[in-house]
Amino acid sequence: MLGYTLKRLLQMIVVLGAVSVIVFLMMSFTGDPVFMVVPIDATEAEIAQARRILGLDRSMPEQYAIFLKGMLQGDFGRSYVFREPALDLILERLPATLEIVVVAMLMSAVVAIPLGVYAGANPGRTESRAIMTGSLVGISLPSFWVGMMLIFLFAVKWNVFPSSGRGDTVEVMGTRWSIFTADGWHHIILPSLTLSLGTMAILLRITRAGMMEVTRQDYMKFARAKGVSRRGVLYGHGLRNALIPVVTIFGLQLGDLIAFATITETIFAWPGLGKLLIDSIYRADRPVIVVYLMLVATIFVVINFLVDILYTWIDPRIRVK
Amino acid sequence: MTRHLMRSLAGSVAVAALAAGAALADGDKSLTIALTADASHMDPQAGEELSSNIMFYHIYDPLVRRDADLQFGPGLAESWELVDDTTWRFKLREGVKFHDGDTLQASDVVFTLDRLKASLMSNLAANIASYSAVDDLTVEIVTPQPYAALPNDLAAILILSEDHLAEVGDDGLERNPMGTGPYKLVEWVREDKVQLEAFDDYYMGEAEVEHVTFRPITNPATRTAALLTGEVDIVQDLAVRDVDRVKNEEGFEVVTRPSLLNLVLALDMREESPTIEGPNPMTDVRVREAMARAVDVDTLSKAIMNGLSTPSDQYVPASHVGHVDGLNFREKYPFDVDRAKELMAEAGYPDGFTLTLDATNNRYVNDAQIAQALAAMLAKIGVTVELNVMPKSNFWGYIRVPTENSSFIMSGWDVPSGDAGSMYGALFYTRDTREGYGQVNRGSYSNPEVDALVDKADSTAKIDERDGYLQEATKILMDEIPMIPVHYEQDIYAARDGVAFTPRTDKFLWAYSMDVAEE
Repeated sequence: MLGYTLKRLLQMIVVLGAVSVIVFLMMSFTGDPVFMVVPIDATEAEIAQARRILGLDRSMPEQYAIFLKGMLQGDFGRSYVFREPALDLILERLPATLEIVVVAMLMSAVVAIPLGVYAGANPGRTESRAIMTGSLVGISLPSFWVGMMLIFLFAVKWNVFPSSGRGDTVEVMGTRWSIFTADGWHHIILPSLTLSLGTMAILLRITRAGMMEVTRQDYMKFARAKGVSRRGVLYGHGLRNALIPVVTIFGLQLGDLIAFATITETIFAWPGLGKLLIDSIYRADRPVIVVYLMLVATIFVVINFLVDILYTWIDPRIRVK
Repeated sequence: MTRHLMRSLAGSVAVAALAAGAALADGDKSLTIALTADASHMDPQAGEELSSNIMFYHIYDPLVRRDADLQFGPGLAESWELVDDTTWRFKLREGVKFHDGDTLQASDVVFTLDRLKASLMSNLAANIASYSAVDDLTVEIVTPQPYAALPNDLAAILILSEDHLAEVGDDGLERNPMGTGPYKLVEWVREDKVQLEAFDDYYMGEAEVEHVTFRPITNPATRTAALLTGEVDIVQDLAVRDVDRVKNEEGFEVVTRPSLLNLVLALDMREESPTIEGPNPMTDVRVREAMARAVDVDTLSKAIMNGLSTPSDQYVPASHVGHVDGLNFREKYPFDVDRAKELMAEAGYPDGFTLTLDATNNRYVNDAQIAQALAAMLAKIGVTVELNVMPKSNFWGYIRVPTENSSFIMSGWDVPSGDAGSMYGALFYTRDTREGYGQVNRGSYSNPEVDALVDKADSTAKIDERDGYLQEATKILMDEIPMIPVHYEQDIYAARDGVAFTPRTDKFLWAYSMDVAEE
């Protein structure tokens, strides 16, 4: 177990190194950040001064070396645009994204797994067909359209939810959270629902496929024959054995939503990570993009690690090596 | 533990609700304004874009104030005089308070200029050679040469408190901005809201609206929705497609105003141009005139801008120093394809030529579509335009002087200082002959007469003389067409009824000049 953890850590460092090099190389093609900072009619001397202030007067390898050195000391560089430490900018926005993503994932799981189990256990029924058709709609609808429709219906037309923003926040452990206030929940529902639809549909379909596979197994009939209730068989014996692919997808989707909730965040003016990434790309703000993508890589590695651990718990026959 | 946490949370919610209730009971007026983007800075010397500028003018004040129509008047300085050709003396108002209670002194102005010179925004102080405090309330500023537009420039320099910066540190201003402005910062939650509160001791009197909240809502449709649901009172940049929808809605009003941003096409004037094979036809003024006549600004306005653009008559708007009354580019060179074809034939290019237009796709309203339309229009006179459209993060570096890649560039130019001089000096002065001039002369235009007029304008301390020289320059430029002016975009706002608000020419929304009707 310890060896496995160490191996994963090592893997993570390699991934992070690769990400930082790739972003550095990529960003050298996306335009010179200094022109996003100085006024259009700046003179050569003013541009040179700006370059010096931003540390852009050095060669690419030198800039990378400075970045690496700073990182070892916990300094991830300063945003060109905001003139603040890039890591602070990202950490400030992370809670907002985590909130909508966690709520969205819970919504997906709570809706998708029971429906998936039902549809898998009773494949012939009309209700099951309706569920499957619904899931197709969930996969195919683009989130920007869903978001706009939800705003149009629930905010503009019926006035039950606010259209945008985060609402009241409460400071807990030094960061602001909306999930601890009623007004915050009022604001979370629509963006989380928008985010959850795609994942909900995918989880539902995977759960159903797994259940259809499992219900044909002999141990299911045996459990039923020895007197276990239908519900108990479905969830205790069936779902548990169908869960491995569901957990895998759940983990991947979780990472995906944290990293790329951009569109939903923009539509609902939700002050999360995604908007920061888009703004930074527009403004060629390299320090923020590097740290952001490194954070995303870390999140993916960690989630996959946790999912691997979960496997052993769900199916004791699996061992991590 | 959990229960304890929940209880303390419930407690703080109750407190928050009480506080909100108290604010309403006071009958304090409040306004919520939706902006297209969050401010990047609270430090006015760290960078500028519109959202930050809007915050700056709430929190800080300049020596010279620029009003909604670009007229300049006293700000923190109550008066000023010329001591000699290059020396100006500014008398500060007495007893102006910073938000922390300190009194504004001449040393704060000197400190501000010191810090500005070493900052990213040093170009705001380009026409300031030296400065000093004569006494507690008098500042002397010396320009490198006689320069009549100094007060206009000072309207963009916001005064900081020396003591406050000593306290919070050089980087501290970002999170703890403090000035003499009409509003104090209460809270800034990035990408969520900026909350301001009226400053009681403001030297022009306390603001009518006590609480102002700015909310960044990037997505245009969401901004409209937030207005219609009553979450915000005013929206900036109402989407063109939502204009009719909001107009038809009971209780809302759409307000438009021509902006200062002039979309211009720079024509390369070098003998050889990067994207043109053989000699450059645009060195011939007849070709430039033909191209100007081929551009149909009315069609652009109707088909692409939904009527929300104003064709440009000159390089600067009528409010500016250097604008010639009665002279109109559109009347001088009206849209006329036949005449344009004749001119092309006279110049020896009956079959036209091919060149590349560099343009942005995310900087100006419908910029990529405008570029496509221009290509179609110029094709009618035989000029084949290949489009090179890119995002703004690549654009500014790509078209940078000495423009080794470009022959034909579409970009916008605005002069909030209300004076054509800085534009002419930067865009039309012969390159590489004088420091700080011609640095954005993208077409390599060169005319000693224009250079001389700009020199003269920049060496008089009298604004009338400056105006005269710049008007002469305007006339020459209109004859020679180094650039084709296209149109001014229109700024579109919407507000709910009961909000008194007039847009400013420079787009800087200013709550101090707004009011809300009593409920």
